[in-house]
Amino acid sequence: MRNYEMMIILDPTLEERIVQPSLEQYLQVVPSGGGAVEKLEIWGRRRLAYEIDKRSEGIYAVVDLLAEPDTVRELDRQLNLNEAVLRTKVVRPQAH
Amino acid sequence: MAKPPIRKPKKKVCVFCQEKISYVDYKDTGLLRKFISDRGKIRARRVTGNCTQHQRDVATAIKNAREMALLPYTSTAR
Repeated sequence: MRNYEMMIILDPTLEERIVQPSLEQYLQVVPSGGGAVEKLEIWGRRRLAYEIDKRSEGIYAVVDLLAEPDTVRELDRQLNLNEAVLRTKVVRPQAH
Repeated sequence: MAKPPIRKPKKKVCVFCQEKISYVDYKDTGLLRKFISDRGKIRARRVTGNCTQHQRDVATAIKNAREMALLPYTSTAR
């Protein structure tokens, strides 16, 4: 089990009230893989420094996870397949 | 012939070593913005005065932040 930090940029056309439930739904793979979601922080709408897929804004979220490497890889794969997700990044802050 | 005066540059101390910060967070754009030029380029070590390791950490943090559109790759302001 390792600590991970994942940043997700969601499509800005998503409605504000469905952001939280849909993120929770995406993160279901973590507990089912034996891990735990330690923190789910939604930054909200933020201007992008440059356009991604013709969008100038994005909904940012940062998630702290404790999970197996395979679980995180699977989560990242699923998010990248999702149309509502513009970009993701996984870092291991404790590795430094 | 008067020799040009030899400039003794003031020795800068790495801000991260001073503050004892071991992990440079890519989400802290306010901090990282101090290490990029107004064009969005990463400032050289001779400008920032960072030590080798921390300059490297700052550079990777800036690159991570750029990937997540928190910082610009280029900014054509001017």
